[in-house]
Amino acid sequence: MVFAQAPVPRDIGAFEWLADPDSWTGTNGILASLADTVVLCAIVVVVATITMVPLAAWLAHTRRGEVSVSWTVTLSRAIPTFAVAGLLVPISLRRGWGFEPWPIFIALLLLALPPIFLNTYTAIRQVDPGVVDAARATGYTETDVLFRVELALATSVILAGARVAAVTVVATEPIRAFLGGDGLGRYVRDGLGQNNDGLVIAGAILVAGLAGLTALTFRSIERFALPDGVRRLATNTTP
Amino acid sequence: MTRLFAQAQNPIVRWEYFIDEWDQIQRALIEHLQLTMYAVIIGLVVSAGLSAIALRYRWALTPINGFTAFLYTIPSVALFGILVPYFGLSRLSAVLPLAAYTLLILVTNIVAGFNSVSSEVREAAIGMGMTPARRVLHVELPLAMPYIVTGLRIAVVSTVGLVTVAAIIGQGGLGGLILDGLRRAFWTPMTIGAVLSILLALALDGLILVAGRWLTPWEQRRKTAM
Repeated sequence: MVFAQAPVPRDIGAFEWLADPDSWTGTNGILASLADTVVLCAIVVVVATITMVPLAAWLAHTRRGEVSVSWTVTLSRAIPTFAVAGLLVPISLRRGWGFEPWPIFIALLLLALPPIFLNTYTAIRQVDPGVVDAARATGYTETDVLFRVELALATSVILAGARVAAVTVVATEPIRAFLGGDGLGRYVRDGLGQNNDGLVIAGAILVAGLAGLTALTFRSIERFALPDGVRRLATNTTP
Repeated sequence: MTRLFAQAQNPIVRWEYFIDEWDQIQRALIEHLQLTMYAVIIGLVVSAGLSAIALRYRWALTPINGFTAFLYTIPSVALFGILVPYFGLSRLSAVLPLAAYTLLILVTNIVAGFNSVSSEVREAAIGMGMTPARRVLHVELPLAMPYIVTGLRIAVVSTVGLVTVAAIIGQGGLGGLILDGLRRAFWTPMTIGAVLSILLALALDGLILVAGRWLTPWEQRRKTAM
């Protein structure tokens, strides 16, 4: 297979390569690959969130789908993303959809769905029934109960689910470079292919760095995106 | 690239491949099993040690959890890649990350298992004059077994999935078939590698489930009694 490979000298040091501005610019540059990866991962997490949060919220609110939880727990750790994507590549190519983005998108989506579903479902189920009854008694409609009580109180746990999904997706996305695509994993692939240790290490640092950065970003979102009432509640109860 | 798209019309599975390349499939399957076993055994030994420390010294639990959770979030491509310059394209570069990924789930479940042993049972064992080693091996370990088996199942299943990724550093296995098929635009090995790795995960999961039931017969009796 012909991959477009960045021309990198054989015995360059990882940090030397990372410090070189030329490594960052251009069509094969780090910034372009980074954007490629971030866009795909963002779409995956957004799609997973807008499908799973409403589904799980509705199931939990109506006290349905208890069985789905144990299934999701088992599945969530067991999805062989590489195999799933590998299985989808030939199908996608035969249909003329190309290497990208469908196979890797679906494989990553399967990875992102379980944590978001699980966290939303359990968080809403764990809302104090007394609080829900109180809201109903004060005249909240069912929609109000769901949106202004249950979802509001579940926010931080739902965001934690989105964080787990995002970190897992970002950490797994680099396999795309080995399945006929590009993205940030390309430098590890090219380095391995060219027997260039410096490039492999630099690529690994980039991939791991992005995963770490994703976790940090979501943690700060979790801190600032809480509904006002919930935050006041949190600050009042913690001494 | 045009050649590739012409070959995109290759059938998903060419059944003769099973007969012609049976040796290769068999070898990939064995390599896959070996890598999984090495990783899980190393992971289990290290987890047992870490859990023992965490159970003996309570303050150590948080740092140990933090460390194993940190290892778990390192992208697999990065972890396989970073070891290659030091250990080469060797089995060690594949097994170390795989073992590292099992630690989080194994330590969590081993600790939860031993914590689930009620203090009455523990005191009864001490009261009967059991030595600490005997108490741990003959009373606490069997009672913790359902948790440990659950952790082991998840660890094995996710390791089987990750071993396919180890093919990127040339460790063969079923992921090797996937990469080989991709390289030649020949979909049969790709499909076989992917399907077999999923089936292998399910088979090992079932095997450990059965072994776990056999190890803890009283759990089954309790369930049917209820």
